[in-house]
Amino acid sequence: MLKKTLYVQYTPCLVVLKIIKHYQEEGQGNEVVQGVLLGLVVDDRLEITNCFPFPQHTEDDADFDEVQYQMEMMRSLRHVNIDHLHVGWYQSTYYGSFVTRALLDSQFSYQHAIEESVVLIYDPIKTAQGSLSLKAYRLTPKLMEVCKEKDFSPEALKKANIAYENMFEEVPIVIKNSYLINVMLWELEKKSAVADRHELLSLASSNHLGKSLQLLMDRVDEMSQDIVKYNTYLRNVSKQQQQKHQYQQRRQQENIQRQSRGEPPLPEEDINKLFKPPQPPPRMESLLIAGQINTYCQNIKEFNAQNLGKLFMAQALQDYNN
Amino acid sequence: MSRFFTTGSDSESESSASGDETAPKAPGGPYSKPLLLSEDEEDTKRVVRSARDKRYEELTNLIRSIRNAMKIRDVSRCLEEFELLGRAWTKAKGVVDRDGVPRFYLRILADLEDYLNELWEDKEGKKKMNKNNAKALSSLRQKLRKHNRDYEGAIAAYRQNPEQSDEDEEKSRRDSEGSASSSGAEDDAGNFLKRRDREEPRGRYKEEESESESESDEDWGDSASESDSESDEDDGKFTSLASKFLKKDEERRGAERRREEKAKKKLERKSRREEEEEEEEGGEWEKVKCGVPLVKEKPKMFAKGTEITVGLVVKKLNEILQARGKKGTDRAAQIELLQHLVAVAHEHNLGVPLELKIKFNIVASLYDYNPNLAAYMKPELWQKCLGCIEELLELLFAHPEIFVGENVLEESENLSNPEQPFRVRGCVLTLVERMDEEFTKIMQNTDPHSQEYVEHLKDEARVCAIIARLQRYLQGKGSPEELCRVYLRRVLHTYYKFDYGAARRKGQVKDGAGQVKEGAGQVKEGQGKEEEKLEDEQKVKEDAQVKENEAQVKDEEEEEEDSEALMERLCRFVYAKDRTDRIRTCAILCHIYHHALHSRWYRARDLMLMSHLQDNIQHADPPVQILYNRTMVQLGICAFRQGLIKDAHNALLDIQSSGRAKELLGQGLLLRSLQERNAEQEKVEKRRQVPFHMHVNLELLECVYLVAAMLLEIPYMAAHEFDARRRMISKQFHHQLRVGERQPLLGPPESMREHVVAASKAMKTGDWRRCHRFVVNEKMNGKVWDLFPEADQVRAMLVRKIQEESLRTYLFTYSSVYDSISMETLAAMFELDLPTVHGIISKMIINEELMASLDQPTATVMMHRTEPTATQNLALQLAEKLGNLVENNERVLDQRQGAYGGYFRDQKDGGYRKGDGYLRRGGFRQERGNY
Repeated sequence: MLKKTLYVQYTPCLVVLKIIKHYQEEGQGNEVVQGVLLGLVVDDRLEITNCFPFPQHTEDDADFDEVQYQMEMMRSLRHVNIDHLHVGWYQSTYYGSFVTRALLDSQFSYQHAIEESVVLIYDPIKTAQGSLSLKAYRLTPKLMEVCKEKDFSPEALKKANIAYENMFEEVPIVIKNSYLINVMLWELEKKSAVADRHELLSLASSNHLGKSLQLLMDRVDEMSQDIVKYNTYLRNVSKQQQQKHQYQQRRQQENIQRQSRGEPPLPEEDINKLFKPPQPPPRMESLLIAGQINTYCQNIKEFNAQNLGKLFMAQALQDYNN
Repeated sequence: MSRFFTTGSDSESESSASGDETAPKAPGGPYSKPLLLSEDEEDTKRVVRSARDKRYEELTNLIRSIRNAMKIRDVSRCLEEFELLGRAWTKAKGVVDRDGVPRFYLRILADLEDYLNELWEDKEGKKKMNKNNAKALSSLRQKLRKHNRDYEGAIAAYRQNPEQSDEDEEKSRRDSEGSASSSGAEDDAGNFLKRRDREEPRGRYKEEESESESESDEDWGDSASESDSESDEDDGKFTSLASKFLKKDEERRGAERRREEKAKKKLERKSRREEEEEEEEGGEWEKVKCGVPLVKEKPKMFAKGTEITVGLVVKKLNEILQARGKKGTDRAAQIELLQHLVAVAHEHNLGVPLELKIKFNIVASLYDYNPNLAAYMKPELWQKCLGCIEELLELLFAHPEIFVGENVLEESENLSNPEQPFRVRGCVLTLVERMDEEFTKIMQNTDPHSQEYVEHLKDEARVCAIIARLQRYLQGKGSPEELCRVYLRRVLHTYYKFDYGAARRKGQVKDGAGQVKEGAGQVKEGQGKEEEKLEDEQKVKEDAQVKENEAQVKDEEEEEEDSEALMERLCRFVYAKDRTDRIRTCAILCHIYHHALHSRWYRARDLMLMSHLQDNIQHADPPVQILYNRTMVQLGICAFRQGLIKDAHNALLDIQSSGRAKELLGQGLLLRSLQERNAEQEKVEKRRQVPFHMHVNLELLECVYLVAAMLLEIPYMAAHEFDARRRMISKQFHHQLRVGERQPLLGPPESMREHVVAASKAMKTGDWRRCHRFVVNEKMNGKVWDLFPEADQVRAMLVRKIQEESLRTYLFTYSSVYDSISMETLAAMFELDLPTVHGIISKMIINEELMASLDQPTATVMMHRTEPTATQNLALQLAEKLGNLVENNERVLDQRQGAYGGYFRDQKDGGYRKGDGYLRRGGFRQERGNY
């Protein structure tokens, strides 16, 4: 039904504020909060008009039914005449570490059930530094195919031509408010003191950068391990290949001898039974790690660019003052 | 029984009480009611009852219920009651030791045994028995047998004439009552003899009275003193006790000898006594049946009237020896026969060589007594063996003209011809070596925390004395090989003992004449704990050493020689003369151990390095390896005492890092590997264990190691906080730190490990005072530091090391905060003097550990700030990791290109790259330094 790949999303202020509020109330440190997005598809855009949070998981009520809760919630919203169509979900993130297997799996199931669904990633730390960071992602059709097959072997991924760059596609976001709200925002801006906006100009950087680097390093380590694993796999495969080859040759020679003696050749055995190919390591993990590293790098790059800019600005200011 | 107590003196009532117990009891159980009644009566009105009565009452009650159970054939109940009885018996031990085994107790043991045997034989009945009872029967039978073994002599005597011996006893008691003052002592004497040396027959007790006064007097005398010392059961008096025991032994031996002389005069009488003795003996061991016919023969060993000649005796001896090792030979009887033969030979003045020859054989058959290699000698046999060897040595010393050698052939022996030199076949050295091994075995098999162990340990002095005497004997005539062997024995008995004498003399020199006594006393106090934890053990050992010294004095031995000089002399001889590698290796190790024990670090270390033992010790047999481990550990502890932390750590690393220190030092088996070895291996391992009194204190060992690791590791950690390639110096220390961190609630430290962990944490922040408080305090003093001979010196060394290392740690950790810091401030902070601080900082600067320079005029340290910041460090780490990643990636590519087996090349590549990375880093540093 939906043919266009590109969506423009209209996210009213309400949704953004609700997500932020949700995080402020429940998310701490690297804990992640999640929720459901509601909206509807209009022409080629997906309009997200409302949302509600998933309740926090606790160990005590294991028999809590999430699906039940969601249905209840949507029914209630429908009663008050709010868009109740499920169009995706949102999630907060800690220094941009969201490219994980869990996200992939749930986004896959969403997109599988409701084709237009998106995941909205909210980065509270960046937001706290003065610029709202909200991003919408979808899985690319290629990845959808692979996930549907559930085959993550190196060959399958190669065939599907998937790399970390084309796993996710980012969807541009447009935040559109009603005019009344816009007017009010203007008014608020006028009223607010200059100091309130100075977070943007903070020069302190090492903490954020250090954290990012640390995370990046962890991922690099994982990547390294993954590669080592893959390497051993490759070595095993090649070793086996050799063995197989030798075996076949021996077999052939024997057969030739037998023929010369007039005996019947040895029966053909299933060579694959004799040599069980080693289990190929799933490559999805490394793809995800690569994707994660990519996001980290983007983050750091962005952050550093801003910081450098700020530093130059500060220097200029200093010169000017002197 | 209380009725008898109303009148009469104490001793009277005692004897009548036991008489009362046994006499009416003989017919069986029916009168138990009146007894019970009387007890009840007494219970209501009793005022004071002695411990003896209480215990006896307990026992009789139990015995009664056993009898009841026996009557209704309830074996399982019998078993229960018997267990209770056993417990009550051990409780009553103190009383019993004083009074001797009461008749009623022997009776129940004998009856129970009969009863069980009857049940056991009755196959039909056994089949009918229910499962519980059958099980109980077999276990009870076993228990009883085990239990009875200790009282076999008494039981056998009781069995022979249950009534008469009662009377005898009573009679003898009544006799003794005549002299009220001595009666108690006599009573004790009799009982004591019964209990303590069962080879002394009960019959002798009676006889002794009729025999010449002097002997019995003597026996009474010393046993009276014995009972005195035993009656005050204060643990603290072991030393005096020990001396008494030892003296008594000698006296007893003297008495035995005298008796032998007497026997010469009264041959008939002696033979009669011998017979009795024999019977007693026979009753004591299990194989009565085979022994008896032989014994019966014995008085007729030589037909009456035949002239006893050397040839005859030798023939007889060979006859006896031929039975050796055969099935069904009663080994105990054999020993007995041989002893008799010696007496006969002595009687007829057949010459020393013959006596020697027989004695050799006695000792040999004593060793033979235990067919199993793992089993150890019984105490009485052991005493006999020691005595025998001592006699043997005495004879050898008295007759130096006799040639003794193991190479002398049977045919070429000369036992009687006085014209030619006497030649006897036999090897004292082997006997003594075997004796030493038996001693080790006894020590291994005794519970080290029991009084028994202390008792056994007292024999060590005798063992040492024997070895010393043998050594002197062999110095006269032995070959170098033999000398090496006996020297090694001597060394093995010396190396682990701290030489108090030498320390005292040193102390005297140091302290001057005035405080000699005190100083020596203190030194002794402190040092005594080096080897043993248990106080009494320590005392005993001191005592043993004093005894040994005494023995040496007596033997005009080098009594003034320090053990250091002794070791030096013996070991040097071994180094020069030994041709078997093993003895030399052992001697070297013992020598090193001894050096290390006495804090002669450099000599110990040099010897260790020169001997190159570290290279090939893994080829040695396990006991030597254990000795090597012990030596290394001692070396490490020695280095620690000298303040050589690094050396200490290196020496202890191998032992401690495995976590099997206990096993490696031969001080116990690990439970963990129990499944991995079978019973056979376990036995072998058990045989390798070092006796408890030679143990190295494991807690001390671990503490020394951990503290050494702390002093090394904490500054290192501070210096390399951001280094990705940081290596651990001590894994075990890190493990302890992690354990400490994992604790949810951190209380004040309790154990030694917790103390060290807490101290490490304090040191991390450079807080040396807290660190010091954690390392040196009451608890740690008691647990560890006081065990050192020079505890105060060690503590002083520790404080200083802690100050220095804390200073280093502080500089590493907080240098980034300072622009400059005055050395005086540092000196004040760490309570070090200025030159030391200056020295430490200079060293750090030279080693490029600290990027700073010294400003001489103001005595300040100027920081250069060249250490990369946290972010820079992170970036560096990241770069390194990325390098790794790329490397790995390239390997994948290699695979793709089909470069099989490129492993070595890869390795080389990797190595190269790593080096490259390092260089890059260095380059970075330089760059930053310039900037």
